Amino acid sequence: MRLPHLKNVRVVVSLLVFVIAAGMFLDFTGNFPRDVASTVTSVQVGPSLIRILTTIAWPALGLGIALILTIAFGRVYCSSLCPLGTLQDILSRLNRNRNSRRRFRFRRQYYLLHYALLLLASALALGGSIMLITLLEPFSTFGRLTVELARPAAVLLHNGAALVLDAVAVYSLFAVPLHVAPLGPLLVTILLLAVLFVMSYRAGRLFCNTLCPVGAILGLISRVSVFRIVFDRSLCSDCGLCEKVCKAGCIDSKRMSVDFSACVGCFNCMEVCPTSGVLFERRYGSRNVTAALPVDRRRRKMLQDAAAMVAGSAIMPGDSLKAVLPPATGKSRTTRPITPPGSRGLDHFTSRCTACHLCVSACPTQILTPVFLDYGLDGILQPCMDYEIGSCSYDCVVCGEVCPSGAILPLPVETKKLVQIGKATFIKDECIVVTKKTDCGACAEHCPTKAVRMVPYEGRLRIPELNNDLCIGCGACEHPCPTTPNKAIYVEANPVHLIAKKPEEKKIEVKEEGAEFPF
Amino acid sequence: MDRRTFVKRAIGSPLVAGAVLGSDALRHFLAAAPRPYDLVAVKGGEPEVMFDRAIDAMGGIGAFVKKGQKVVVKPNIGWDVSPERAGNTNPKLVARIVKRCYEAGAKQVYVFDHTCDDWRGCYRTSGIEASAKAAGATVAPGHSESYYQEVSIRGGRVMKDARVHELILESDVFINVPVLKDHGSARLTASMKNLMGIVWDRRFWHKNDLHQCIADFAGYRDPDLNVVDAYAVMKQNGPRGVSTGDVQIMKTMLVSTDMVTADVAGAKLFGLSPDEIGYIPIAARQGVGRMDLNGLNISRITL
Repeated sequence: MRLPHLKNVRVVVSLLVFVIAAGMFLDFTGNFPRDVASTVTSVQVGPSLIRILTTIAWPALGLGIALILTIAFGRVYCSSLCPLGTLQDILSRLNRNRNSRRRFRFRRQYYLLHYALLLLASALALGGSIMLITLLEPFSTFGRLTVELARPAAVLLHNGAALVLDAVAVYSLFAVPLHVAPLGPLLVTILLLAVLFVMSYRAGRLFCNTLCPVGAILGLISRVSVFRIVFDRSLCSDCGLCEKVCKAGCIDSKRMSVDFSACVGCFNCMEVCPTSGVLFERRYGSRNVTAALPVDRRRRKMLQDAAAMVAGSAIMPGDSLKAVLPPATGKSRTTRPITPPGSRGLDHFTSRCTACHLCVSACPTQILTPVFLDYGLDGILQPCMDYEIGSCSYDCVVCGEVCPSGAILPLPVETKKLVQIGKATFIKDECIVVTKKTDCGACAEHCPTKAVRMVPYEGRLRIPELNNDLCIGCGACEHPCPTTPNKAIYVEANPVHLIAKKPEEKKIEVKEEGAEFPF
Repeated sequence: MDRRTFVKRAIGSPLVAGAVLGSDALRHFLAAAPRPYDLVAVKGGEPEVMFDRAIDAMGGIGAFVKKGQKVVVKPNIGWDVSPERAGNTNPKLVARIVKRCYEAGAKQVYVFDHTCDDWRGCYRTSGIEASAKAAGATVAPGHSESYYQEVSIRGGRVMKDARVHELILESDVFINVPVLKDHGSARLTASMKNLMGIVWDRRFWHKNDLHQCIADFAGYRDPDLNVVDAYAVMKQNGPRGVSTGDVQIMKTMLVSTDMVTADVAGAKLFGLSPDEIGYIPIAARQGVGRMDLNGLNISRITL
């Protein structure tokens, strides 16, 4: 088939996906339509695969679409549905050297490195460390780049605009508090951007064919895809344009061959060919065209093994994964990071979160903060609750709703209100009421479940009293506590989330009042 | 002592003296110019109706809001809870006040609070954002430090300065609309405690003698009008409350230009002795307002 307009379709789809993905990660208003965002997140292979492999009974429609597309047409996903792919194309376009869009050359792909990385990432994930996936998975990388680098810039721009607009129409835009990620995660993100920039600036989609685990998986599938790029030898004029526009470097125009497992399905070659000699044909039973590169037997064996291992990991149900996870012991109790409600606990969360930071962006109180090594190297860049910034809103379940990988599972609001992610600890001797002999009660005031309440102390003073059966670990007590240098009340993480007792709903006794005023 | 307090006291003292002396001549003299009420208490109606009655008794909304003025209405929107939980000021009352301000010719009416829970949730769930907007108010944000400006508090014992929301500084008229509630820290919240929502740093208050700070800050600026919403009153588990079981429907409203007076009446209505609520006697001692309701001119209206 000659489909010169396929490239235009690809451009439109990729830009649409890019804009939606960037929008949902940038959104600091909380108004980005959730269903629009979830159509994009659900087709993201990385997080969706983790969600489906590790969490039973999840709708797999998005992942199904992505895989069926790949089986049918090869890695069109990489050029259309992957926002990081589009970002690389944009970075690549920054290259303004002569004729930059026609600067590519056929290259041998680094298959050994690529599949070795995929194997290592899968093996580590099975062993409980999602680290390598976190660092390389494209959707999560795109998320971090957007949340850590672009979002603060957008917030600053917004606040600037709010200032200017205030001169005309006061409070038409609201100032948004600026949150910048801690230095560690920030540096890792900047480093990743640098790597991505150099790779795409120099060699187009080198990242996709060398480091990206999703690219590796889809590359395996695309080896047997129904359609593929082929040449009509009778039409070829040997101009070599197809090779020059191939950002994946998978076209060898001299030999008229395509390394289709490296092809990211951008269709630039079909558009550029002056004689329409580049075709999109069914692999089997097509006519008069070149075959793909002859395949090295040994390489094929290695790839088959790799595929088998990946497939093997795919079949493993979620619960058996737990068995191979290291037990969560040995970490200091006070420094254990608190995982958000719906994440079930440390093990569930750290083995599934790819640190895309969609929850970091979406959290209305902005308390989900990426950390560098607080979870250990395995949990690099994963977010935790930071009660210095604020506390977890009692009625809010946003993080579970947006999480694409199932690290934070969605919870009904009424359930969330009972999920105990940690327990408060009260250090009476450091409390203002004891040290200064003055009333305070900030903790009890904010506690939504009355796990902290004020009880009589000396004289008229009242002091906090803690009932941890009711505590859900939301940090409403810790955040406003005014003591320095340390909080007199703080939350310690539950390594495995528990269920708190339902707050007591006691009806007040209404005394019959007279018709008179009491004054 | 600022001008407002001075004028109030200059007028107030002879009134109190007159009442104590019970001088017929003085009473006769005062009757010539109708004496404004120090406190208007209304009960038995819907919030809108009670406000209309109360403000009429206070001399009409025009006595407080003049044509072309900028008005800020400061309800309690501290918590992300629905109106029936009585954690926030009644949204219907807020809307009515906004409406009446515009009727009096206000150029612009603003509504805001520095909330405790996430501000977007509070504004939305309280119903106040929607009702105030429907009445034409600009619902302003209070969640960002950038909206607050440093002011000094004359006469503050502990609290010498604070960062106060720009709307309080820029508006011609400040209407304080607290909800009467039980309060874990301060025992009771009404007019004075509600002003904690116009400052940025509340931790300072908690850290440095909450009651003293509430009283200190009450001396910073008298609201032009205090409307204490006691339609539905959270009697326990305050200030956030746990369920509607905490709420008693009292259908009452207190209106006064004197925060101490309003809070004393609020305490009595709530069933507490005003002396038990630390900040009330301190504020009275520091000259914020009058604590002794005897001798005050009180209008008691039962609908």
